[in-house]
Amino acid sequence: MVKLTIDGHELEFPAGTSLFDACREARGEALPHFCYHPDLPIAGVCRLCQVEVEGMPKLTIACNTSVREGMVVHTRNERVRTAAKQILELHLINHPVDCPICDQAGECGLQNQYMSYGLYDSKVPQGDKVLKAKAEVIGPHVILDKERCVLCSRCVRFCDSVTGTGELGIFNRGDRAEIGIAPGKELNNPYSLNTVDICPVGALTSRDFRFKKRVWLLKSTNSICSGCATGCNVRVDHEGDRIYRLKPRYNSEVNGHWMCDQGRMTYRGVHSEKRLGRPQARRDGALVDVSWDEVHETLAAQPDGGPGLWITSPHQTLEEIGLFAALAGDAPRSGGIVTSGRGASDDLLIDADRTPNRTGLTWFGFDQHDAAGLSALLHRSKGAVVVYGGDPAAEMEGFAAALGGRPLIYFGTHFQTTAELASLVIPMSTWAEKDGLFANRQGRVQAFRRAVARPDGAREDWRVLADWLGALGGSGIPTGLPDLRRWLVDRASHLDGLDLNALPAAGALSGAATAGAGGER
Amino acid sequence: MSHDQYKILSKRFGRNDGHKLSVYESEGGYDALRKAFVLGCEAVIAEVRDSGLRGRGGAGFPTGVKWGFVPKDAETVYFMINADESEPGTFKDRFLIDYDPHLVLEGSIISSYAVRAELCVIYIRGEFGWLIDRMQVAVDEAYAKGYLGKNILGSGYDLEVIVHKGAGAYICGEETGLINSVTGLKGQPSIKPPFPAVQGFLDKPTIVNNVESVAAVPHIVTNGAAVYKQHGTEKSCGTKLFSVSGPVKNPGVHEIPLGLPFREFFHEWLGGMADGEEFKALIVGGSSVPVLTADESMRLNLDYESCAEAGTMLGSGGMIIIPARCDMVELIQVLMHFYWDESCGQCTPCREGTGWLHTLVRKLRRGEGTLEDIDLIDRVCNGMVGLTICPLSEAAVMPMQSFLKKFRPEFEALVQGRTEAGEASRWAREFRS
Amino acid sequence: MENDKNFTLEGDDLTRYEAIVARYPTKRSAIMPSLWLIQDRDGYVCDGAVSWLSERLEMSEAKIREVLSFYFMYRETPQAKHVLQVCHNISCHVMGARPLLTHLQKKLGVRTGETTADGLFAIEGVECLGACGMGPCMLVGKHLYEHLTPVKADEILDSLRKGDPLRPDTDRELEA
Repeated sequence: MVKLTIDGHELEFPAGTSLFDACREARGEALPHFCYHPDLPIAGVCRLCQVEVEGMPKLTIACNTSVREGMVVHTRNERVRTAAKQILELHLINHPVDCPICDQAGECGLQNQYMSYGLYDSKVPQGDKVLKAKAEVIGPHVILDKERCVLCSRCVRFCDSVTGTGELGIFNRGDRAEIGIAPGKELNNPYSLNTVDICPVGALTSRDFRFKKRVWLLKSTNSICSGCATGCNVRVDHEGDRIYRLKPRYNSEVNGHWMCDQGRMTYRGVHSEKRLGRPQARRDGALVDVSWDEVHETLAAQPDGGPGLWITSPHQTLEEIGLFAALAGDAPRSGGIVTSGRGASDDLLIDADRTPNRTGLTWFGFDQHDAAGLSALLHRSKGAVVVYGGDPAAEMEGFAAALGGRPLIYFGTHFQTTAELASLVIPMSTWAEKDGLFANRQGRVQAFRRAVARPDGAREDWRVLADWLGALGGSGIPTGLPDLRRWLVDRASHLDGLDLNALPAAGALSGAATAGAGGER
Repeated sequence: MSHDQYKILSKRFGRNDGHKLSVYESEGGYDALRKAFVLGCEAVIAEVRDSGLRGRGGAGFPTGVKWGFVPKDAETVYFMINADESEPGTFKDRFLIDYDPHLVLEGSIISSYAVRAELCVIYIRGEFGWLIDRMQVAVDEAYAKGYLGKNILGSGYDLEVIVHKGAGAYICGEETGLINSVTGLKGQPSIKPPFPAVQGFLDKPTIVNNVESVAAVPHIVTNGAAVYKQHGTEKSCGTKLFSVSGPVKNPGVHEIPLGLPFREFFHEWLGGMADGEEFKALIVGGSSVPVLTADESMRLNLDYESCAEAGTMLGSGGMIIIPARCDMVELIQVLMHFYWDESCGQCTPCREGTGWLHTLVRKLRRGEGTLEDIDLIDRVCNGMVGLTICPLSEAAVMPMQSFLKKFRPEFEALVQGRTEAGEASRWAREFRS
Repeated sequence: MENDKNFTLEGDDLTRYEAIVARYPTKRSAIMPSLWLIQDRDGYVCDGAVSWLSERLEMSEAKIREVLSFYFMYRETPQAKHVLQVCHNISCHVMGARPLLTHLQKKLGVRTGETTADGLFAIEGVECLGACGMGPCMLVGKHLYEHLTPVKADEILDSLRKGDPLRPDTDRELEA
């Protein structure tokens, strides 16, 4: 451990700690900075994080300095403040005052800095400013304004060292320097929108989000991306019942600071026109609206001894899968088509498994099947078929034929192929509209919160299943979500020892999962 | 002439045959290399350290001390010769490569040997295309004669040399900028730490030395530190090449003993001003140092310490004699254009500051400036000092602030309309005859 | 910018390129001499050349273009036959660079930064060329002309027009 003094406070840090991090802890807020980022190589070019270290003739950049025993550091004295102010003044020379039309307003590093120092005006008249290209589309997701750029080089370092794709460069020198791409090329790596996150100003902005909402009107809710089994931690930014964007949320164990572009776009499905909004039953070949009372009646009735095949999907929460398993009992069951929801993986975050909770299926005893296997299950079983999430009719050939006209109870979020075969269609919430738990590819249980309201005609998903279980004579039915989560732990050995109501911020690894043992109780 | 005794580096200047290997060898060339192998690496470093030789590119850092920073157990070491000479007013490295490429090469080989470098890159600015060919010929000659390559002169030491062509960037004269340029990146300086002597090219220990510095090494090795120190002062040892420009009778490259009073240099070596010219100001060490008035210059001694005491710097020894017919505001506009052009753009204070200074000075020269603008220039300069990765920012500020300080009346006269904006220079004549 | 998809290096050029890459410690470090090889042959570095190098030197096109755009001497578009690079820095300025530039502009009928209609000459103001004591000076390709006067400048222009460039004083015998 190393002892040093920062702004008069004596503190201890492990040897090798960056002075930048040490100052952040000491001050309760980070030093002013643009180019420093904990997940990127140090550039040391913005010069804003300079502090006074006694004994050194010049100010020192904290980001490139490690703590040393006996260091005496000043971060808020006159000399340091003057330096930061001078640098900011120089930033504002050529920076266009675009705030009224810039998406970054309200979350802009430059705005935040100059509000601290009270420098609002650029000293150089518009006619003398260096002009550069504005609103240049550089990729499917990103748009570039070269004038706003403060040349912190974060975006370039991201593409060089995180994705290794090197699409971005800083061309020319001096005040003609500008961020750009090679002609004929695009910023199109699967993580391009992270450059928008890390751009401290409005130079790189999201095409998807452009001009849609002022950021100070947005509320944020913590969630987990449902795009693949990595389970990147995300933040859902929404106003009212509309989601405007997803941003990654830092989790050192899962996704660091990043998430992929595809994952960011998963919010669009929440607002699709094809959302199922209310329960419907098929009468004379057509689907008509029915009441929830009718739904419960239908579910409670047990023709032929109850449904003969219970199919769910890796898109469902642990809570739902647990309840569904209890409902299925000893009846034939499946976790859905094993080959669906797959893609290519990469060395970064994108998992080949494009579903958020395939791990959860195994914990509750749901195997997945290929087309032949599910077909066989369909043929071997009798009575109604329940499909809880997913779209097996689209994912395998011959589902309709194998179903053979039996009643199909379909729980879904969107009107998909399976709904066309259903006798009862029950609307579900997407991940953004409920609290829930997913288990990612690491066997990590992560919690997500409800960000926006579910469709008017839908009910709380787990409660529908719990009521059904009660109607079928089950006992000990959970009465609330916390109760449900305790109930779950008893029903899967992979959840042993976990308090699902008080998960740590980084989620909790299943002990049994890492040991390879356990299963449904 | 008595000045011949100082011709250690410039011995073969002005000749048409000094660049030939046969001539160089006949005049004792490559004997120093043989002696270096006998002395051994440590002894060579010690001799150079004792000689007090200081980096001749401008920084003046003790050369032998810098060599000593290379970890002794390093497996791979690189050496780079900085021939990127771009400091306005400086052309001495060019003369060395032009007239005595083998001296530079021998010095490079000995220096590389001292730190056990396996590769020496001679980085020559791209504008010296006509010299790069010359250096390559010398290198080819050296390889053919066994002064380069494997097991040089049976010493067991291997050294490869690459003559690397720059492409027009003053900032590549900064040692980490040079290293990055060779690496294939833009020639932008790197943050320090790490320092190149420990972690440089390809993260290996790398020494970057100026051409003139290594050119002194054969003499030091052959004759020893004590002889080298016969010239110069206690802290500024040896001789230095001064590149002299401006309307004096004898411009060009002069090798002087450090400590020589400027007054003596000016009158006896340079012959004073050319006919019809009057001495007004002096830039002593390349444009990036504070300017001196003629009076101040006459009280100056030409060594590192005296220059510092006089409020300027010896720098590269690129001496520019400014005549009275020159308008200082016009000259500073020329210089501010230079720094604006050459700033690499990484650090905000320099990138924006050099642009702003140029814009402001241009505004004054167009007759659109105010007295407040003059103060603003001074304030902008203050915001550019001590805050950047490399000293290009200070290099712009030194001339700017010193011109303002010492020739302020010219700036004010321009603003107040007492000189005609845009045509403020008072040329006595346009060309030398 | 031209898009020369047919760019390639062959024969002696290819051999020289391969020798460069073999000599330099890493592929990336060979970028500058490779760009010079191409520019010496073609007068500039076209888009096709950037792609060609990108495939071989393990550098993205953006990284190559960073290098291309950073250094003043590399050109991305075709140049005039003779680019007259006149130093306009301080020492040459003191010794008369501006009147020289004015003279050249009048003589050729173009301004600094422009090319003559016949594509023969372009005038550029450049920074210090290391000829401060012998100024004003101008660099034309590899030839550095010094101690310039309007008369001497005219002689040089005429010699260039004839295709037999005046030999500069800096050009000395190179026999071994």
